Amino acid sequence: MAANPPFRRVLIANRGEIAVRVARGLRELGIESVAVHSEVDRRCAHVLACDHAFALGGNTAAESYLDGGKILAAAKAMGAQAIHPGYGFLSENAAFARAVRDAGLVFIGPNPGAMDRLGSKKAAREEAVRAGVPVIPGTEQDDGDASLLAAARRIGLPVMIKASAGGGGRGMRRVDREEDLADAIAAGRREAKASFGDDRMIVERAVAPARHIEIQLMGDTHGNVVSLHERECSMQRRHQKVLEESPSVAVDEALRKRMGEAAVKLAKAVGYDNAGTAEFLLDDKGNFYFLEVNARLQVEHPVTELVTGVDLVHLQVQVAAGAKLAELLAGRDLRPRGHAIEARICAESPEQGYLPAAGPLRLVREASGPGIRVDSGVYSGWEVPVHYDSMLAKLIVHAPDRESACIRMSQALAESAYLGIPTNVDFLRRIVDDPEFRAGRMSIDMLGKRPDLAAGPGTAPDDLALAAAVLCQAVAPARGAPAAGGAAVRRSAAVWTELAGFRVGGGGA
Amino acid sequence: MSLSREYVVDGKPVAVRAEHVGGDHWRVRVGARVMEFRVGALGPGALRLVPVGPDAGAATVAHGAPAGEGYQVRVAGRTHQLEVPAARGGSAGGGADGRVRAPMTGTVTKLQCAVGDRVAADQVLVVMTAMKMEHKLTAGLAGIVVEVAAAEGAIVDSSAVLVRVEPSAVEGEK
Repeated sequence: MAANPPFRRVLIANRGEIAVRVARGLRELGIESVAVHSEVDRRCAHVLACDHAFALGGNTAAESYLDGGKILAAAKAMGAQAIHPGYGFLSENAAFARAVRDAGLVFIGPNPGAMDRLGSKKAAREEAVRAGVPVIPGTEQDDGDASLLAAARRIGLPVMIKASAGGGGRGMRRVDREEDLADAIAAGRREAKASFGDDRMIVERAVAPARHIEIQLMGDTHGNVVSLHERECSMQRRHQKVLEESPSVAVDEALRKRMGEAAVKLAKAVGYDNAGTAEFLLDDKGNFYFLEVNARLQVEHPVTELVTGVDLVHLQVQVAAGAKLAELLAGRDLRPRGHAIEARICAESPEQGYLPAAGPLRLVREASGPGIRVDSGVYSGWEVPVHYDSMLAKLIVHAPDRESACIRMSQALAESAYLGIPTNVDFLRRIVDDPEFRAGRMSIDMLGKRPDLAAGPGTAPDDLALAAAVLCQAVAPARGAPAAGGAAVRRSAAVWTELAGFRVGGGGA
Repeated sequence: MSLSREYVVDGKPVAVRAEHVGGDHWRVRVGARVMEFRVGALGPGALRLVPVGPDAGAATVAHGAPAGEGYQVRVAGRTHQLEVPAARGGSAGGGADGRVRAPMTGTVTKLQCAVGDRVAADQVLVVMTAMKMEHKLTAGLAGIVVEVAAAEGAIVDSSAVLVRVEPSAVEGEK
């Protein structure tokens, strides 16, 4: 236990794997953790991992993890001195960060002023231009359809049409032909309005083929910011990351230094503190273009932790309490060591258009062994609720080089079992075993161009699979499964909604 | 002891039967093929399988658990969702005749149509709950609802006709 814990008790305003991971970090620092949870999350892994729990009530995100008022009241009721927001939910909400400060508590994240300055893609881009960080040629504001069309022609096709307030790919589309521009702008506006309540759009040159390279930043409250190097997150499906790694095969020492310096310069220009990530596109000529800053801990932070040896959650808590980076990192060699890869294990069917799934996990067996880390938010018997993200766990491997890391990941995925509902485990393994991925020839549109990776071989179960299924039932039935004999298999099934409609005898298959 | 199951493979039912020979020795019949294994349990739902025989392959680990209507098994690093014949909705009736039938015994949670409604072929007409799982029942064809034979909250038998739709020319439908 740490000699002088910076706080006595910290509330974690999140759920699932990230709340478990933060609770572990807090415990290592000698700090008590407070979980908050919705009704359906009463027995979620993060509630079991924390020292204290507070029921927020409700089930939807809006009535639980997104309700800043409820969370602040919980922090006060539980005597927490600080709030760690995790990622998603309230993590990048400047108004919430302000409310936490105004209540006399510490928000473990960037100061709200810096969040405001980087809050929208447009604001962040303007800050980057001012700081001299390269951005993709394009518009900085929306002066109506005519000006967007004119800008697209000036920049030259192909272009990307993006929501000004955007994120997660909503409102974003690539346009290759001039005659498609007007429709793309109109469709983007509709999506942006529905997702963000703001239909303003921007136009940018499409950088292709492009890699997604991001720089992990950490700042303290004394104006110091360090780069903890890059992560490559080019394996994306529909703008959502699937696999992340560090270092990137496309980044050499010189480029790492240039990108790190650009990111640090931008962070210092806006007075940034705590953890953050500057996202860039990198083209095949070594040009990089700033995209946006994610003002929070990222899902993929473990790969940086493994290659740099720093604990980002520890640093977040310590700098939030006023510690100086120079002291926290004194004598540390932060150069990347070895290679780390993370795979996001999700309850979804890549084979069926990434259809998300919910329901009971009958059998969870997580990988283990040398160089393997699992940040998980589930366990055998846990019922995956329909209300939140489909990510169940993150499998992260560390090895001396990329080839060994790929082999280790493939093996770890083969050993993993998350049974009871569809997951993307087989899909992840197909990617990691793919020659193109093994060779490091990735780009952000690779998964779009390789539908075979999502579709899978589509072969029927072989005799070994059929034999194994019956032997499992005969010799070692899974939890919640009936003993030998009997056809009913859903004894402990609780409420979930089948996402696909059930069509009664309708038409042909 | 022995255990028999039937799974649908490539649209055809395949009988699979595991027979305990003695000790850790099991014989499995998959259709006409006979396979033999030494089996070690590694906890609930987890097995180590050592094939027996002159041309037997290496040992492998298998995991299995019920999933949805069927059974999920993971072996040799691949996941297979095995379909059981009963789960194919065989008794649920034909939508082509306009009858919406209960695919299983359960409770009618929600009626989303009334007599006289014009409905599309994919429109959800009834929501049922069975085994705490929700099923959305859609019209098999486009037309007009001529009969609603169930009430919300009613428990209905498998194959019971809940709604009857008569075909009519609805724009946008084949």
